[in-house]
Amino acid sequence: MAKIGEFELLVLLAILRQSAEPYANRVRDDLEANADRRVTRGALYRTLDRLAKKGLIEWEVEASGTPERGGHPMRRLSVTEGGRDAAAASREVLLRFFDGLGPVSTSS
Amino acid sequence: MRETPPRTAARFLSWAVGASDEARTVLGDLNEDYVAVLRAEGLRSARRWYWKEAVALGVSALVGRPFGRSIARNASGEGTMLKDALSTNGFAQDVGYAVRAIRRDLGFFGFATLIIGLGVGASTAVFSVMSPLLLQPLPFEAPEQLVLIDNGDGTGGLSGITSRTSNVKDFRERARSFEGIAGYFAFFDQQSFNLGGDGVPERLVGVNVTDNLLDVLGVQPAVGRDFSPEEGLWGGAPAVMLTYGFWVRRFASDPTIVGRTLQLNEEPYTVVGVLPASFDFASIFTPTVSVDLLLPWPIADETDNYGNTTTMVARLAPGATIENAQAELESIVVALEEADPERWGLGARTSGLQERIARPFRSGMLLLAAAAGLVMLIVCVNLSNMLLARSPRRRREMAIRRTLGATRDRLVRQLLIESTAFSLMGAVVGLALARIATGFVSTSAGLEIPLLSSISVDATALLFTVAIALAAGLAVGIIPALQVSEGGEASALGGSTRGGSGSRGARRLREALVVAEVALACVILVFGGLVLRSFQQVMDVDIGFEPDDVVAWTLGSSRTFDTLPEINAFFSEIVTNVSAVPGVEAVGLVDAMPLGTNRTWGTRVADKEYSGNENESFFPHMVDHRYMMAMEIPLLEGRYFDASDTQDGPPVVIVNERAARAMFGGDAVGRSLENFGGARVVGVVGDVKHRSLELEGDNELYFPMGQVWQFQTVDMVVRSSLPPASIADAVGSAIRRVEAQMPTEDYRTLESVVERSVSPRRFTLRLLIAFAASALLLASLGIYGVLSYSVSEQIPEIGIRMALGESAEGIRRTVVTHTMLLAGIGVFIGTLGSFAGTRLISSLLYGVEPTDPLTFGTMIALLLIVALVSGLVPAIRASRTDSASALRSAA
Repeated sequence: MAKIGEFELLVLLAILRQSAEPYANRVRDDLEANADRRVTRGALYRTLDRLAKKGLIEWEVEASGTPERGGHPMRRLSVTEGGRDAAAASREVLLRFFDGLGPVSTSS
Repeated sequence: MRETPPRTAARFLSWAVGASDEARTVLGDLNEDYVAVLRAEGLRSARRWYWKEAVALGVSALVGRPFGRSIARNASGEGTMLKDALSTNGFAQDVGYAVRAIRRDLGFFGFATLIIGLGVGASTAVFSVMSPLLLQPLPFEAPEQLVLIDNGDGTGGLSGITSRTSNVKDFRERARSFEGIAGYFAFFDQQSFNLGGDGVPERLVGVNVTDNLLDVLGVQPAVGRDFSPEEGLWGGAPAVMLTYGFWVRRFASDPTIVGRTLQLNEEPYTVVGVLPASFDFASIFTPTVSVDLLLPWPIADETDNYGNTTTMVARLAPGATIENAQAELESIVVALEEADPERWGLGARTSGLQERIARPFRSGMLLLAAAAGLVMLIVCVNLSNMLLARSPRRRREMAIRRTLGATRDRLVRQLLIESTAFSLMGAVVGLALARIATGFVSTSAGLEIPLLSSISVDATALLFTVAIALAAGLAVGIIPALQVSEGGEASALGGSTRGGSGSRGARRLREALVVAEVALACVILVFGGLVLRSFQQVMDVDIGFEPDDVVAWTLGSSRTFDTLPEINAFFSEIVTNVSAVPGVEAVGLVDAMPLGTNRTWGTRVADKEYSGNENESFFPHMVDHRYMMAMEIPLLEGRYFDASDTQDGPPVVIVNERAARAMFGGDAVGRSLENFGGARVVGVVGDVKHRSLELEGDNELYFPMGQVWQFQTVDMVVRSSLPPASIADAVGSAIRRVEAQMPTEDYRTLESVVERSVSPRRFTLRLLIAFAASALLLASLGIYGVLSYSVSEQIPEIGIRMALGESAEGIRRTVVTHTMLLAGIGVFIGTLGSFAGTRLISSLLYGVEPTDPLTFGTMIALLLIVALVSGLVPAIRASRTDSASALRSAA
């Protein structure tokens, strides 16, 4: 199974959890709003490329009717089977490691 | 509202990311966010936002793989796969190409590396020099909260900015905007501490500081402790702290020194602590003086009687700003004045500590930065031009790769990697140059610039260097790269490199670059010329005394004297001994030498009308009767002092020409002062530049040492036409015959005193001249290069013209005219630029207008002559064209 970094995992999950059609801007907004991350565009696109190369996500380029896009197409992202497996595996590992640790806090 | 993003930025981005569908989704994403920002924040900030994002994204796309290319699953299928493979899709491969290209032409790239190294070196050196003063925070805790409180605006010298200790006391009690107010005794160099006891006697410099100074600055002693409040009281137990440098030098960093006593002026002082290495008191507050000791400065009635003495340093309370601290101090000053109308010396001007320390140097540093920036620009233009001149050769190579399927983006990228590679090598050369330069600057003593010792090429400077080298690499490479990779495979492969519609555009471009280069060089030359003229003006100033062949010793006795005749007899004996040294022509004594420290006093002329508190302020000097003759200060009226001007004779005073005019209306001799025992004016002498060479003279009054006891340490000036070193030993032993323990090693020539006072100006001048010379050299190289190239390009045409009967002289004239036309346009633009830049430079000038026609004229002439010479060589070569062979090669 492909190795997956923390930011890659976040991006993967962000794609999965969109209720509307996931594309780069939505993913970025979600990460900035809910993951307390400043996400530069370049980093996000690179991550998308990496995830695609690992076969964890794929995309369809399709024409967009949104006038704000200035006639440029959009890239609808989706997570592949492999991507779902990788996310599930990461979750397992994280839960296993957190299990029994109690509240992780610096103030104690 | 228009909802399309800035066109240029969008174009750049579109070029950078490429034309694939995936790449266009990137543009769409950015577009969408742009519209959101536009609606929320308005057009201006949305445009700025878009530019920032587009540049960041574009650069990221250029240096790495294009976005969305990782899966070759797009519509065009196999064709694209093949094309990508052939076009060497990959950064590593491009680097390989670049390395091979550089190896093929080592001479050219070596030269390019050197030139870029020159520009980078200049920029990095200036950056490093500016950095501690203007860019880095001072080495204190939360330095942004530290302020300096001046008493006045600085007219009246040091006395005009220092405060009475009663001000410190009242401000401390009343002001709420400060966490703490501290200070130090600014006239510390008028006292001296002779270190006795074991070891060689030594004259030490000690600064009195309030017991809370370290606390306010947030400095912890390296060893031992700070002064206690009891030690800070008048008459408290004598205590000293050692500066780190002195501790290392004299006591070999012995930590057990704390608690021991030092014999200073034959009194015991307890060492309570050692300052940390990071706190170099002198380099921040008193550049060029080296400080050995700190002693307490009591805020008490006794110190208040000394008048304006204290430089106030304070720390703002949390939440307070400089503005509201200033407002509070102003209202306190008003309240204090109302409570006691007789009180004098109240005033407060608050400024940030760092800003205040850097203020006198700011414009000079910024000018140097501007000049270094211009040199860097010229370097870039020059290299750009050299790359352009090579472009026909590269064109063939690129055309071949294009026909094999390489995209234009890929070729541009490869060429940019080449230029970035040699600019980074240039950065290595530049760093070496900058290290040499800064090493030289930071160790040069006698340069009156704060924080000099902390100048080094540090990590920030390294980052800066790499950044400008990268920027230069891209800037230098982009135009030639776009040119070379432009279409036209057929003609390039056909082998034709001579004139034709394509190369005319290229020539225009190269000529435009030469014009730019000449214009930039013109600006630096004019600025350099103006600073040079100012320097000459300053050096030509009549300082009012004759510094040549005069050496000065500071005489500080460890003895305590009870009466004025006693101290006079003591110093007189030294003067008599020194006068007897062979080769010594004249000797004199003064309490404070010109261009050193200064103080202001007030008085009234006896028979003159004054209103209210009004009085005359002046710089006082205590001198012995030989001083003015030894210094060759000319007597204009009346008489010099003589040996009879003692306490037994009537009180007398000598005034300078300016005081005679300003205080006495031109008729001074015979009139009297209200205080100083009603001293009567017996003479008028010439004005002496006391504060600096550049400031107008001030009222100066000289009192005989035999009558006014307001001195402790004195300076002895010795005039001798022998070299200082050859009389120093004899003078030293003549002094020590009177007091065996008196240190006599630190003598200085008056020339060096004058030199030190102009050192920041000389420093700026030297660097500017270096920059201007580099600019001139680069500009002439540029002109030469472009003209040689265009001549060689036109050989066939010249051949035809000569075959048709045009003379060699005519050809020469055409080429030279062309040169001068380019240079002329450049000079014209550069002159306009210099006029526009005069605001930057005017505060640095002295005795010369920023638009001085002579300077402009001289520098323009110099530039044109250099242009002419650079154009002459290609012109001569053109005129020697052999028309027959030229025609054959054209055929």
